Amino acid sequence: MSKLPLIAIVDDDQAMREALFDLLQVEGFSARAFADAASFLAAAAVTEFGCLLTDVRMPGIDGIELQQCLRARCSSMPVIFVTSDEDAVTRTQAMNDGATAYLTKPLANAELVRSLDLALERRPGR
Amino acid sequence: MHRHKGACWAFDISLVRALIESVSLGNRPVDWVGTLLAGTLIIDANGDAVHLFGAYSGRARMVGQPVGSFWPAEGRNILADLIVGAVAAYARRGARKIRIKSLVLHDPVLIAWMSDSGELADIVFLTIVAEPVDDRSFWALRTSEERYNNLIHHLPFAFLEVDSRAQAEIFDEQRRKGLRDVAAYLDSNPDDIIRARDIVRITDVNRSAVQLFGARDASELLGPVDPLFAASPETARRVMIHHFEGYRSYSEIMKLRTLDGRLLDVSLSVTYPTRPERLDITLIMLEDITDRLRTEAQLRQVQADYTRAARISMLGELASSIAHEVNQPLSAILTNAETSLRWLSRDEPNLEKVAQLTTRISDSAQHAGEIVRRIRGMTTRHVPRSVELDLNEILQEAFLFVRHDIESRSIELSIQLQRDLPRVRGDRVQLQQVIVNLLVNSVQAIQQRAATRGAIELSTNADARGAVTFTIRDDGPGIAEDDIDRVFNSFFTTKEEGVGIGLAICQSIIAAHGGAISAANRPEGGARFWFSLPTSE
Repeated sequence: MSKLPLIAIVDDDQAMREALFDLLQVEGFSARAFADAASFLAAAAVTEFGCLLTDVRMPGIDGIELQQCLRARCSSMPVIFVTSDEDAVTRTQAMNDGATAYLTKPLANAELVRSLDLALERRPGR
Repeated sequence: MHRHKGACWAFDISLVRALIESVSLGNRPVDWVGTLLAGTLIIDANGDAVHLFGAYSGRARMVGQPVGSFWPAEGRNILADLIVGAVAAYARRGARKIRIKSLVLHDPVLIAWMSDSGELADIVFLTIVAEPVDDRSFWALRTSEERYNNLIHHLPFAFLEVDSRAQAEIFDEQRRKGLRDVAAYLDSNPDDIIRARDIVRITDVNRSAVQLFGARDASELLGPVDPLFAASPETARRVMIHHFEGYRSYSEIMKLRTLDGRLLDVSLSVTYPTRPERLDITLIMLEDITDRLRTEAQLRQVQADYTRAARISMLGELASSIAHEVNQPLSAILTNAETSLRWLSRDEPNLEKVAQLTTRISDSAQHAGEIVRRIRGMTTRHVPRSVELDLNEILQEAFLFVRHDIESRSIELSIQLQRDLPRVRGDRVQLQQVIVNLLVNSVQAIQQRAATRGAIELSTNADARGAVTFTIRDDGPGIAEDDIDRVFNSFFTTKEEGVGIGLAICQSIIAAHGGAISAANRPEGGARFWFSLPTSE
């Protein structure tokens, strides 16, 4: 299980951050959680993450800007948005910038796992 | 009869003849003096008599009225005695004479007699024979008393003269015995208050008092002061305490039960006599403020309803921001619950993880409950309550309602709260409303300048003058110079969809809290709004 890529979680809401971390753990993923985009970008091992789960609305750099920042660094890291923001313009922007999925809260765990499988090109059931 | 030298009256005693005869036989009903004088009608008075006792209204006004309405308090017993004596002396064809002491008359003698003419069977004549001590001082004193009577009787407030000497003597005695804490003493001797209400007596009242109490005439009010405090016994206690402690006056608002059964709110003012004034006159003034209080209460209710309506409208605008706040903990609950089920469904369930997640679910549910409680607090009808508050706390609670709105617009926010801010007194919900309103105002201003990201700075601080200030600065377009003086006016708005009540409500709330709110443009661009509240210390 530990061979699976490391997943980064960026969410300013502590309860949600911890919930996502535990969800990934039970599903067999390793994860690291960040309270804001800046500390994620500052982490030395950004390139080691296999996928990014991020909220959209956050103080400072928001999720959309974070994805743009990664793309600007020529990173093709898969990005999955987990957000309460159902705004169509934001969703379109996220997808146009290369997001793998744009999931709205509250969401079922299975839905997130499906998107992760897609992002990591895992086969279901593995 | 006007040929008589000195003051002279003629009284009709037909209404009180039975009482007079009863008194003659030694039966003296309670307050028989008051009853007798209220039923003894003046049918004539000469010029001196008018000057002596009735000058504030003139002879025409005296005739037909009970002598009790005019006769000075200190002479009432003497007059009643004279009338009874005159009736008793009639059989002997005699008169009743009393020599009295007086400050203004030299050796005066009062003489009362009845006519022996059958046509005048129920008439008692009274005359005062005396020379003034000194003509000038006599008339100066009379004129001054006339002015006083005029003033008192035409005052639009109920006015009572009270003789509290009996109580003052008791107080003097207790003071000599070493009593200091009269409040504690009255607490352990409540009967003393009841006794005081009996021995302290009303000796004169004006017309407004008769009207206020719903009495038939002044005489109905003369006697023990007890009825005054029937609906507010605690007031009697406080009036006594202030008397004992040597205060010059005492005021409070109290309930008054009138003689005809109405319950009124009245403002009571007591002025205690001090030497060398006449110690037998404690003045009590009563003003009926029932209507004023009712109107004020109605006005407060209307204001509270209006403020609440504005609050609900404001929350409506923030619905999506609030929904987001509730959605956050609900999402965490769902994710944690599903994760728990996954741990439980394993061949070897990880109960430790499940316990940890269940604790988090409980925390999130409580958090969601807290948010709902705050929203409900903003929407339910409540009577504003003044309690001690930390403005920093209020700011953080208010922020909940707009946080998502600010974040979703990527507005940069900086908050600088002064630590250990002195507490202020106020209504928690209304002050939250002011801060939310100001925040929404700034967010909307920034939105008008779509190009930039926008920034809001919030700060609190205390100044040396004992005020706590909340300040919000934004980098929006600022306020047009012509509008600065109008931003707090009702229905003033620069927004197409705005009604213009938000800032007006802020101002009325802050004013009701004894504070002030202001607006100005910042030199670097944008607007600054701030309000100050007095600290509770």
